[in-house]
Amino acid sequence: MTHSRPRRQLTRRSLLRSTAALGATAAILPSKIWAQEPEKPSELIVRAWGGSWVESLKAGVSDPFTEMTGIRIRHDLTEDNEIQPKIWAAAAQGRVPPIHINWDTTTNATKSALRGVTEDLSDLPNLANATELAKPVGFDGYPMVNTYGYVYVLAYRPEAFPDGPPASWRHLLDPKFKGRIALYNDGIGFHFPAQVAGGGTLADIPSNMTACWDFVEEMKAQEPLLGEDPDFTTWFQNGEIDAACTISTNAREARMNGVDIQWTVPEEGAKFDTDGMWIPVGLPENELYWAKQYINFALTQQAQQVWLDGLGLPGVVPGLTPPADLVDDASYPTQPEDFKNLIRISGQIQVENESEWFSKFKAIMQG
Amino acid sequence: MDGLEWAVDRLWPRTLSRLTPWLMVLPAILLVGLLVLGLIQIADASLRTLDRSTFLMSDSWSDANYARALSDPVYAKILWRSLSGAVIVTAITLFFAFPYAYLMVRTPRAWLRKLLLIALFLPFFIGQVVRAYGWLIILGNQGIVNDMLGLVGVAPLRLLYNYPAVVFGLVQYMLPFAVLMLAPALTAIPEETEAAAGSLGANWGRTLVHVLLPMARPGLVGAGLVVMTLTLTDFAMPAILGGGSQDFIANAIYDQFFRTSDQGLGSALALMLVGLGSLIVGAIFMLFGAGTLAMGGRSK
Repeated sequence: MTHSRPRRQLTRRSLLRSTAALGATAAILPSKIWAQEPEKPSELIVRAWGGSWVESLKAGVSDPFTEMTGIRIRHDLTEDNEIQPKIWAAAAQGRVPPIHINWDTTTNATKSALRGVTEDLSDLPNLANATELAKPVGFDGYPMVNTYGYVYVLAYRPEAFPDGPPASWRHLLDPKFKGRIALYNDGIGFHFPAQVAGGGTLADIPSNMTACWDFVEEMKAQEPLLGEDPDFTTWFQNGEIDAACTISTNAREARMNGVDIQWTVPEEGAKFDTDGMWIPVGLPENELYWAKQYINFALTQQAQQVWLDGLGLPGVVPGLTPPADLVDDASYPTQPEDFKNLIRISGQIQVENESEWFSKFKAIMQG
Repeated sequence: MDGLEWAVDRLWPRTLSRLTPWLMVLPAILLVGLLVLGLIQIADASLRTLDRSTFLMSDSWSDANYARALSDPVYAKILWRSLSGAVIVTAITLFFAFPYAYLMVRTPRAWLRKLLLIALFLPFFIGQVVRAYGWLIILGNQGIVNDMLGLVGVAPLRLLYNYPAVVFGLVQYMLPFAVLMLAPALTAIPEETEAAAGSLGANWGRTLVHVLLPMARPGLVGAGLVVMTLTLTDFAMPAILGGGSQDFIANAIYDQFFRTSDQGLGSALALMLVGLGSLIVGAIFMLFGAGTLAMGGRSK
């Protein structure tokens, strides 16, 4: 799928071709070579999530990029869901978009790609060194680049599970956990393991998810709390919950804040997904070029190692070493066998069915 | 106003003086016009469906979004929760606001009146979201209330993330609005009227029921309307104190606009909310008049 504007693409490609010889080293070029590049904007605006997320990005990507290029990076902490309509509106009205780079979930980015508001990133030199994980599923080119993966683990307070880690998602149905469980308020991360825990198969997704909804109904009886990323960390810290289906980064952040918390991937599996970066259409040519260089730099081993150490997530370039606390951790898959128990469904299937799944989950939980 | 009339006298041609009143209301007309324009755009979006293969809205109109909103049980459930919440919060808020406002306007002690005024205005300096988070701290499992209950041997209670918690948060948020609407109406009731009722043998309760409440009706109606419409459209309290399972209509609208990217369905829900709110306000106007919202005009 292409989203480019032919009039501009020739110029952009010619610009990139001119630097192609520099290959993967483009991201660490000395300033005198950068001086031959298109005019530098005074700043680039990168949408990001707050807290440890933006701090990690700043340390691993933004600050080193500024140091190399002199371009200041401004982080826009508008929620990913809320920046999306603004970008879409800007594209529809032919305006310059409000940000240069959107750090986004792959699912959200896929929606924007399907709508045709993303620039093609196929010609980033550092993609040559990236793993298969960097490639968005279901597209010919690269309307976005996946930058790391993450797992929706079952995070738990060990004192609530004295017999050891819960081996199954069904353990959460124990009456003693009534009102002590948390899920995302749109059910994200929980649908696929619920499909297995409810007795169904992953092959039936999306055509027959009765098993998933049966299990969600069972879970509803446990009166779970429904929230978003920051809520999980807060709820664990305040002793409101004993277990949650959440991204491992949130559980790790709570643990770093002194909360006794562990996580596991139960036997039914856990959802594996990716986040990525993309560039909205409508930027001036020179800003588009430097936005691409930012993403290109984010794909270097140097940047990924620091950025993703902060998040505790596996990246998309070879040679990264996991943080000491995540060596052999189920939430940090590095080898093919590590993915055996992780569930990965294509972004397009998720995007096409998200609304229906969301409505069904809401109907059960609001009922 | 004098300044405005002075400016009109000098800048506005005398030949157009019969149009001067329209000039005065022009800013309001522009403001309302902008709102109407926005509503027209929302109405247009509500008639377009989302194509999930391109995430673009359809070129043609249809009533599919309204049909879905009316047929999906989850929206009926959320609508009922919002409506019942608005009624319950209005009733409880007026119940507490009346004695507060009465004491504030009737007390002969200046320090008490100042204290009540400060307590009334202080919450306005703290946003709704911050106040809701405050309740998370106070009512949480490890909050002050559960700590105190623990002192007398009561195990921690789940005080948050349920419907009563949302109602409680909304009442606390709405109380200052209601008091502010009630106070002028109570001030307008001469104290001598109460004294007269007492001299004719009415006790405090009869004076309240037969004198104060009927005379305060414009204030009660105005306060009730403000509280009810604000509650009906509230977003933050259900989102923060409801634990994700106590959504009001505004939360459902947000979900469609920002989670599923379905602006058509979100617009349909938004228009239905506007319509419902307008119907309720219209019905109350017909039954009880506009109260203090009539700005001194005769109320029914």
